[in-house]
Amino acid sequence: MRFLRMTGLALVAGFGLSAAAAHAAQAPSPTTAAGSAAPADDQAVSELKEHHRHHHHGGITKFISMSLDTLGTDDAKRPQIEKLQSDLHAQMGPAREAEKNLQLTLADGVAAGTVDTVKVNAAIAKLTTAADPMPEASLDTLNKLHAILSPPERAALVDKVQAHWEVWRQVNHEEKPGGRERGGQLAGLTEKLSLTPDQVNKISAALHTALAGLPGKFDPKKGEAHMHAFSAAFAGDSFDAKSVRSNANAHLASRGATRMALFYETVTPLLTPEQRTKLAEHLREHASYQSATSGK
Amino acid sequence: MNRSLVTMLTGVVVASCLASAPARAGVVVRIFPPAAFMATATPVYFEGHAAYWYGNSWHYRDGRNWRTYREEPRYLREYRTRREPERRYYGNRRR
Repeated sequence: MRFLRMTGLALVAGFGLSAAAAHAAQAPSPTTAAGSAAPADDQAVSELKEHHRHHHHGGITKFISMSLDTLGTDDAKRPQIEKLQSDLHAQMGPAREAEKNLQLTLADGVAAGTVDTVKVNAAIAKLTTAADPMPEASLDTLNKLHAILSPPERAALVDKVQAHWEVWRQVNHEEKPGGRERGGQLAGLTEKLSLTPDQVNKISAALHTALAGLPGKFDPKKGEAHMHAFSAAFAGDSFDAKSVRSNANAHLASRGATRMALFYETVTPLLTPEQRTKLAEHLREHASYQSATSGK
Repeated sequence: MNRSLVTMLTGVVVASCLASAPARAGVVVRIFPPAAFMATATPVYFEGHAAYWYGNSWHYRDGRNWRTYREEPRYLREYRTRREPERRYYGNRRR
């Protein structure tokens, strides 16, 4: 009898578990999408994350511009789209130059073994000021862009801008300071500079302390508000860029640049001279980054 | 005795119900493109939306949700055989 009871219970439990597992497997989860057939961190993804760790100057406007890289419009529209993208690059020019100045200042400091925080803070302030206004011309460019794109293309652009925002937020806000996870900034630095285990331990602890006390916390709600306002407006049949009241560009530029600077200020004293030379070169490459479309 | 029989019978009933549910053996784990993929992949426009080739399937957004073509549409299959869906690389050395 005891045997029969146990058998019955086992059957219930076993099939109950099977049902739960099957249900879980069917539930879609966009955020846990990585599968063996499509690695989560392939080369393109790694390079995008690295780009977003170093380029903050245009805020959401830069995400719009970057989204045009992969929008996949038909060939007939491509020249017009590239022209508008080039215009957006030009309109973000002052902020981009300020960011370049910051990266070169950081590179000099890394190479020398000590980052000049006074110079760096001044460079960040210039970048923030340059990124703040939405130039009248860029509003016109966005209106022209809306007019050229078909409804599916507009929807795709909005998806892409949101995707860039999500990645930017992940690597500049949500990533654990000093975390050693695969695809993280410290993991990338370890590979790039062949850091020793002892260096990794020290850098991880130092980043944890430094970034935890990051001055002026990033407020993702500001970015969300800008994203939401742009997405809702741009997906519609009519669009006026002036109607997008939120502007988080300066906030993203300022917070992203501050985090980037603090990262390099923190790791520099823990590197060998050879590693510093290599890292400085890496920063100079970012400073001279040129978009394929604009050449700027 | 009666309780044992009830328990056992419950197990049998549940088991038979689950076994008869359709497609349980063919459950497919759905894979949707993550943000970093979306930001670097060029879509193909089909049936009024942007479709992305990811994880060996075509996916598209339908409002806030993702949908997946269970069978690859002919247009998209032919597109894919003509040219690999493009990715964008943002590395400093390979633009």
